[in-house]
Amino acid sequence: NGAAFSRVRGSQSGRGSTSWHVVRKFLGLISSHNIPVYLIDPLILGLVDKDMEQIRSSPGGPSPQCKYFCAPRDFTTFALLDKTWKHEVGLFRTAEKMGFQWLKILNKDPRLAEMDDLSGMEIPLHYIFKLASHAIHLVVFYERSGNFLWHGPLRLQQHMDRKFVPFRRLHFGRYPGAYEKPELLHVSIDDLQVQIPKDPSSFLEEMSHSRFLECRYREARAFFQLYPDDASLGAVEFRQKAKSLLHLAALTLNNLGVKFWLSSGTCLGWYRQCNVIPYSKDVDLGIFIRDYKAEIIPAFQKAGLPLKHKFGKVEDSLELSFQGEDDVKLDIFFFYEEDDHIWNGGTQAKSGKKFKYFFPKFTLCWTEFVELKVHVPCETLQYVEANYGPEWKVPVQTWDWKSSPSNVQDNGVWPVDEWDDVIQIY
Amino acid sequence: MDEWNPNPAVKPHKKRSWYLAWKYKLMNQRALRKLCQTGAVLFLLVTVIVNIKLILDTRRAAYEEEEESAQDYDDEMLNVEVPRHPVNNKKVLDVEVYSSRSKVYVAVDGTTVLEDEAREQGRGIHVIVLNQATGHVMAKRVFDTYSPHEDEAMVLFLNMVARGRILIFTIKDEGSFHLKDTAKNVLKSLGSQVAPFLSWRDMWTFVGKKGGEVYGEKHAKSPALSTWGDPVLLKTEVHLTSVEDAECHWPDTELNRRRKRFCSKVEGYGSVCSCKDPTPIEFNPDPLKDNKVFDVPVAVIAGNRPNYLYRMLRSLLSAQGVNPQMITVFIDGYYEEPMDVVELFGLSGIQHTPISIKNARVSQHYKASLTATFNLFPDAKFAVVLEEDLDISVDFFSFLSQSIHLLEEDESLYCISAWNDQGYEHTAEDPSLLYRVETMPGLGWVLRKSLYKDELEPKWPTPEKLWDWDMWMRMPEQRKGRECIIPDISRSYHFGIVGLNMNGYFHEAYFKKHKFNTVPNVQLKNVESLRKDAYETEIHRLLGEAEVLDHSKNPCEDSFVPDTEGKVYVMFIRMDQEADFTTWTQLAKCLHIWDLDVRGNHKGLWRLFRKKNHFLVVGVPASPYSSKKPSSVTPIYMEPPAKEEGAVAVPAVAAAEQT
Repeated sequence: NGAAFSRVRGSQSGRGSTSWHVVRKFLGLISSHNIPVYLIDPLILGLVDKDMEQIRSSPGGPSPQCKYFCAPRDFTTFALLDKTWKHEVGLFRTAEKMGFQWLKILNKDPRLAEMDDLSGMEIPLHYIFKLASHAIHLVVFYERSGNFLWHGPLRLQQHMDRKFVPFRRLHFGRYPGAYEKPELLHVSIDDLQVQIPKDPSSFLEEMSHSRFLECRYREARAFFQLYPDDASLGAVEFRQKAKSLLHLAALTLNNLGVKFWLSSGTCLGWYRQCNVIPYSKDVDLGIFIRDYKAEIIPAFQKAGLPLKHKFGKVEDSLELSFQGEDDVKLDIFFFYEEDDHIWNGGTQAKSGKKFKYFFPKFTLCWTEFVELKVHVPCETLQYVEANYGPEWKVPVQTWDWKSSPSNVQDNGVWPVDEWDDVIQIY
Repeated sequence: MDEWNPNPAVKPHKKRSWYLAWKYKLMNQRALRKLCQTGAVLFLLVTVIVNIKLILDTRRAAYEEEEESAQDYDDEMLNVEVPRHPVNNKKVLDVEVYSSRSKVYVAVDGTTVLEDEAREQGRGIHVIVLNQATGHVMAKRVFDTYSPHEDEAMVLFLNMVARGRILIFTIKDEGSFHLKDTAKNVLKSLGSQVAPFLSWRDMWTFVGKKGGEVYGEKHAKSPALSTWGDPVLLKTEVHLTSVEDAECHWPDTELNRRRKRFCSKVEGYGSVCSCKDPTPIEFNPDPLKDNKVFDVPVAVIAGNRPNYLYRMLRSLLSAQGVNPQMITVFIDGYYEEPMDVVELFGLSGIQHTPISIKNARVSQHYKASLTATFNLFPDAKFAVVLEEDLDISVDFFSFLSQSIHLLEEDESLYCISAWNDQGYEHTAEDPSLLYRVETMPGLGWVLRKSLYKDELEPKWPTPEKLWDWDMWMRMPEQRKGRECIIPDISRSYHFGIVGLNMNGYFHEAYFKKHKFNTVPNVQLKNVESLRKDAYETEIHRLLGEAEVLDHSKNPCEDSFVPDTEGKVYVMFIRMDQEADFTTWTQLAKCLHIWDLDVRGNHKGLWRLFRKKNHFLVVGVPASPYSSKKPSSVTPIYMEPPAKEEGAVAVPAVAAAEQT
């Protein structure tokens, strides 16, 4: 019946039926080897999302028309969780027998990048199976520390066929990406049995800003060559506390659905040395003021982090500080977006003086830091340089937040009658 | 690993052979000697540079300098060696073999595959096995047949080599003193005319095909007891066969493809490469019901002892409940052969650039391996840590599956270990019994991720500290009073004889008689009683039930324990404070158990078996269990022997550390 179905569709669009046919063959290949893949093609998921109600309620029945897989496309994208299969070469032999040409894109295992002295086997990041004029792009996802899934960039090696498929148009592979582990749903669409993310729209949302940045391990090692790491007990303990504070903060903010990123010293630590700077004394986060929620303060208090001070107000220069365990403090700076820059504010408690810190515009990327999936500014270098100047590579132990940053400007004084509101210290 | 690709940019150094021949002929002419030496040094330098470049090309990952320290770690020569290959279409190999008092070398088609002129090293018969179709070096061994038993090892090795392989022999220094008739006969059966008559300080080279023709043999008799035979240089040609003839015709399956790759590359693994009846490389042991450790990653820590690794992985993959996908082998160094073994079994392997030297190198290798393990398996709460010189008991995973929840729930636990330091043939009895001990035995153990990530990794000894990782882990700063769970009968067996801190004598004395469980599916007894508080209740119950032994007798004598079975006995020894192990050490010595440092204690109590009776030893008054001592009993005190001149005892303890 599948073939008959495709014949009917085929009369409408030759290429379209090819797509459907190739997808069907691919799914057959995959299931004959017990490899669980799921559909992540944004174009198809976009269509599916509109019909979710209907698709959920009519499992298995024959489709009246081919709505999703038949449109003329060059490729369809699926995902594979690395740990769910054993890399049997048998898959590729069968694929060849079925007429597929295939391409495997390997690269270094980022989970070992932290240690330059380990050379593991290269891992497959992408597969492309091509049959006739349609290709299947199979993106391999790996579990990373921080409880998320990662896929690698697609980079061709010299000897590879650059015209195998229109690589530039692939939806995945321009950058590496980070995703939550998706809940899957088994559905039947266009008479094909596939797994899709349970909530396609949130998957598509996630996809739109999934770009992942690897820590610069090589540069971090060079840094430690120049400035050997502090391995004292004090440093070890501080790092431990900072790590658990960051974990707690991430949990709290994620529960509230508030997007945040590593800022100031914590961001510098990630960028420069892939670790917490042991003498930094606090953990710094940034939040766009548009993401501000009044629940933030009670949520932290509930998590066992009392408010230490609150400077400024939502309309201007807001800054919160929470007391973590043993003097480790959590500072949250709120960032205000203007047309050509972004800024955050500072306040000196005793004088009521205001400061303004300027940053070039930035977007957010995911990274992995102390076993956590967190955001950092994608344009990290500009961000760090704005904050710490061109000499950011040199460790500085004494830092005055009012004068040391290279992007600080005086911003007047709070009117005295507002002090009770904008300078709250606990 | 990649197949070797011929590198057309580098020509085989043909010059080498006539030059060396000329050189050794001229060696005795004094006038030319100086010139020759200078020339030779220069030439060798060039050769070495070319060879090193080749190595760097072929092992693209090895851009870090190959550390000289490699030698310290694994007792293996790191010879400058290039993978062998046939020049296209060439059916003949030029083989040169040199034997002398202070130097041996073997060159195949102008490329040195063995060169050993190190002083006081490499004595005996060097054996090289070449693939008869490709000329590739498949194995390289040296048997010090000047010393006893090495000839037996050589016979064992030669028997394992497949028929048709090309064997090259050469003697360095002395190779006949303990070369017994059996070995001589084996050599004779390979076609050697000289072997039966080899004698003291003779020089000898031989090239032949196993079960086939002889390509050449040269011999120089030693003229007198005090001198060596003249150096001999054998130059011969070996005709290569076709690849088909050199390979077995196993059915074409994925497994056999792995086997084929392995067997065409290395030799000395016996029946795994047998054409007729190859031993399996996939074991499919029974799965374990309700396996709690199926998703726990297993890190196998390895060096360059591929034969050990082979044995270890066989036993690991045969254990019930094993999950091969969770196994990663971490190889310390860019060694090919251990990686070949890993690939034979279809496992994943990671190579590690050596950092630092000796113990610190091992320690850094451990750290990198553990970090990598938790990175590769971010969901894991635990990791099983194994070493390449362990046999794994058939119920290893069953043992862990039944006990791992304790490690998760009881924060007073440091690890679960498969090894009982005091579990010898005569002191261990009950496969279902577990203990809590204050020491960390290692040798097959489970590490909690949080312990590693939060405590150990951040302060792991840095490379410049020449510490043993395990001694460091045993220090109070790390252990913080926590205990390990161990079985009475070990679930691992330490078979390594060659190792960093290991030698035959030491192994014989402390490891050989260790008891090893071979019973499958052992149901562990009363696992919940291993929890912190429950264990105290259990100990008190045991002590309450125990019969006090006659303290007037000598505890070293067999008669100290009555000829009963299944009873519980207790004895009290003197232990003035927590760290006073004077009497314990003497008792351990006479009981022939581990006495090099204190192992297996729990609050001044030791538990073992004597004559199939549970035997408890309580240190009085340091142990909180001292209150169980009847007032009439005087704790036994045993004096340490008068101090010898320290020299013997100290290295023994040092050697014991890395176990």
